[in-house]
Amino acid sequence: MPQNDTIQDLGLDEYQYHFITEDEPVFRSGRGLNEKVVREISAQKDEPEWMLEFRLKALEIYNAKPMPTWGGDLSNLENVLDEIYFYVRPQEKMERSWDDVPPNIKETFERLGIPEAEQKVLAGVGAQYESEMVYHSLKKEWDEKGVIFDSIEDGLKNHPELFREHFGTVIPSADNKFSAMNSAVWSGGSFVYIPKGVELDTPLQAYFRVNQEQMGQFERTLIIADEGSKAHYIEGCTAPVYSTESFHSGVIEIVVKPGAHFRYTTIQNWSNNMYNLVTQRALVHENATMEWLDGNLGSKLTMKYPSCYLMGEGAHGSILSIAYSGDGQHQDTGGKVIHAAPNTTSQIVSKSISKGTGRSTYRGLCQVHEGAINSKSNVECDALLINDTSRTDTYPYIEIEEKKSNIGHEATVSKVGDEQLFYLMSRGMDEAEAMALIVRGFIEPIAKLLPLEYAVELNRLIELEMEGSVG
Amino acid sequence: MAQSTTLDEPIGGLMEGVTDSLNSDLVQSRATGEPEWLRNRRLDAWASYERTPMPTTRLEEWRYTDLSRKLSLDALTPMEWSERAFDRESAPARMAEAMEADHESSGHVVEIDGTVAHVDLDADLAAKGVVLTSLRSAVEDHPELLEEYLATRALPADRGKFQALNAALWTDGIFLHVPRGVRLEHPVRVTRWLSEEGKALFSRTLIVAAEASQVSYVDEILSDDMEVQSLVSSAVEVFAGNGAQVQYVSLQRLGHGPFHLSQQRTIAGKDATLDTLNVNMGATTARLDLNAQLLGSGANSDMLGLCFGEGDQHFDHNTSQDHVAPHAYSDLLYKGALDGRARSVFRGIIKVHKGAQQTDAYQTNRNLLLSEEARADSLPNLEIEADDVRCSHGATVGQLDQDHLFYLMSRGLSRTEAERLVVIGFLGEVLSKLPLGGVVEKISRAVEAKLNV
Repeated sequence: MPQNDTIQDLGLDEYQYHFITEDEPVFRSGRGLNEKVVREISAQKDEPEWMLEFRLKALEIYNAKPMPTWGGDLSNLENVLDEIYFYVRPQEKMERSWDDVPPNIKETFERLGIPEAEQKVLAGVGAQYESEMVYHSLKKEWDEKGVIFDSIEDGLKNHPELFREHFGTVIPSADNKFSAMNSAVWSGGSFVYIPKGVELDTPLQAYFRVNQEQMGQFERTLIIADEGSKAHYIEGCTAPVYSTESFHSGVIEIVVKPGAHFRYTTIQNWSNNMYNLVTQRALVHENATMEWLDGNLGSKLTMKYPSCYLMGEGAHGSILSIAYSGDGQHQDTGGKVIHAAPNTTSQIVSKSISKGTGRSTYRGLCQVHEGAINSKSNVECDALLINDTSRTDTYPYIEIEEKKSNIGHEATVSKVGDEQLFYLMSRGMDEAEAMALIVRGFIEPIAKLLPLEYAVELNRLIELEMEGSVG
Repeated sequence: MAQSTTLDEPIGGLMEGVTDSLNSDLVQSRATGEPEWLRNRRLDAWASYERTPMPTTRLEEWRYTDLSRKLSLDALTPMEWSERAFDRESAPARMAEAMEADHESSGHVVEIDGTVAHVDLDADLAAKGVVLTSLRSAVEDHPELLEEYLATRALPADRGKFQALNAALWTDGIFLHVPRGVRLEHPVRVTRWLSEEGKALFSRTLIVAAEASQVSYVDEILSDDMEVQSLVSSAVEVFAGNGAQVQYVSLQRLGHGPFHLSQQRTIAGKDATLDTLNVNMGATTARLDLNAQLLGSGANSDMLGLCFGEGDQHFDHNTSQDHVAPHAYSDLLYKGALDGRARSVFRGIIKVHKGAQQTDAYQTNRNLLLSEEARADSLPNLEIEADDVRCSHGATVGQLDQDHLFYLMSRGLSRTEAERLVVIGFLGEVLSKLPLGGVVEKISRAVEAKLNV
């Protein structure tokens, strides 16, 4: 029996992003969530009346909805929520030029490698620090083609009609308790519009950083990919490790219009004291394609199930999910596909690794409505367990109302095989190397789908977290 | 933070499901004259029933079966025990037909409306100490075994609302005990008949197979079609001692109308084999709760199930492969074919407890939708807390394989014939895994009869 402890050397558990930036925000709400905080946020943002009403209504819904009793352990969450700051404004205004970003914030992002990545390969970069986007830029060529890549606040200000047409339509406030919370206190996030027929050959990237202790980040992103367009959006998330718990609850709404192709990649590497409860959903119209690529490496508890509502004939949805749960972590992730139109196809592939006392849960839904004939869906889940204290669960929901459909689900759970280890060690590898190679092999089918050609930064994250230094 | 007020109604309260006829007076009357241990067990079970809320669709395990719409407890009166004699000549046609199709057997039991009316057992087996009797007689004759096993380790009242109800109100049932090392060549065959409408019937089965014994048990329940709902509650407890080999087969072929509630728990000891087959063909609503516990290392359970639904039939299968011991094996295959507006639910879980290393557990659910309005929901779950295991599960929902149909039609079969053949082949895979004399033929014929409608 091999000593699974050697996997400690994989570097999977070393958190690279623990550093605290000393700074003083320009505005900070009181602790906890109440009407006053919501009004303050709205006033700080100088919002139109309808948005304040939207927020207040959402607060009511939030207060009325019970805390979920499924998924991860939320028993201490109410205490956490009482203590956190729901809104922290780090600087007066968002900058368009990197040089204008305040030095301490700039330094933070430089340590995360943002300007570097931007220069090399990205079409646009956004950076959120605490509750606000502090920086947003888009390459000129895309700006000229009418691409909008802005903070969500500027989206509301500068494109009020387009904004209002779609905001809150994909994920209504009442969808769940945390979408209601986000709708009440949202701040930061991106507003993206890709015009008809425009194909971005390099991705847009957004970084989310929580620096303050005991704060909640509630970014809200609205993306509209117009007919026949194509784009890729990447988000990365990090925070320092504090002894108290923090909270992140985003809402990501995406409209993929006919024939468009949109990919949304998340590399979530929050520190292990973060609750990460996110609602992500895409409406996918005729012959459009939506791809979620969801990497969950950090946080204390993540509950996140990116979903594709296949609304138009021929729509395709794909969800690829990698989860890594180390000691004390629970990744409760998965995906949802709803087939509401004929000839729609979907695929969910989920791979998880649980180590130490980590727990990885796949939770998914595949629903085929009556009339969605010739729908095809395939779900595959693989779980790798490293220690005898690790845990994995699989909870797929398959709801089929249409006979002319073809739906499959498969899952396997395995451990790193003694034979595999023995073979590699007989070839001269030490145990840690052999273990690392097997783990890499396990995630490779997804890792190779990552956009290697442009996401230098993304790959660096993946390498650090998934492969790490061995021996 | 502001105190959350809930939008949803609270999850149930006390005394739910206590009706004018199903109440503590009934429990008292059932317990009259019984030994003290049993009387207390009934009263405790009733107390547990009273304080357990009625399951609602807000519970994961009842998500797809809305009892408030499917079951009218208020309208039911309890089926009482009464002395009955069974006469094969005057048996209802469906019942006689079913019994005729049975091949050789080691013994028979006939239960009519919750009362055991007939028992016979091969004399050699009786001489070897095999006990096959009504549960009522067993209370008199084998109190020590019943006190140890009845509604204790397998289906205690606190496992759930309906487990409690049955433990409080059962009228009769079947007790089978196979002593150490005794092997039954032929199955024990049980035929249960329901004749009355508007009744709530509570029956229990207790099978205790001691070390290294071997037995197959076929439990068939039937009725004619009924206008008014009856509830048939069957609680089945099966114990396989170390190295024992046990097969339990349930054939549910009730007519249209009844609500069948079958609660089964199998507990397999060290190196025991405990296989089950659950066939659901009849009833308007049929709910199966099956928990197979692999309690001894090296235990082995094949769990097979098939259902064929039509009209407004609703089948809900809730299974659990409960791996407590290391080196155990379980393999589940449930298949369903659904026509008309029928609906099937499969919710299965493989639970591998801490320390259950070297577990092999597999779970497969396959569904065939034959009509536009049929519906299948499948939730194959895994919860794994040991690292050295092999587990997999798969679920599919689809229509008839067009290639198969095309092939058969190219051979000259009509579409209808080809479809029949493909459905029979689809369900036949389950039966072929547990080839028990009489069962395969009986079920194949029942499927064909349904397809001919």
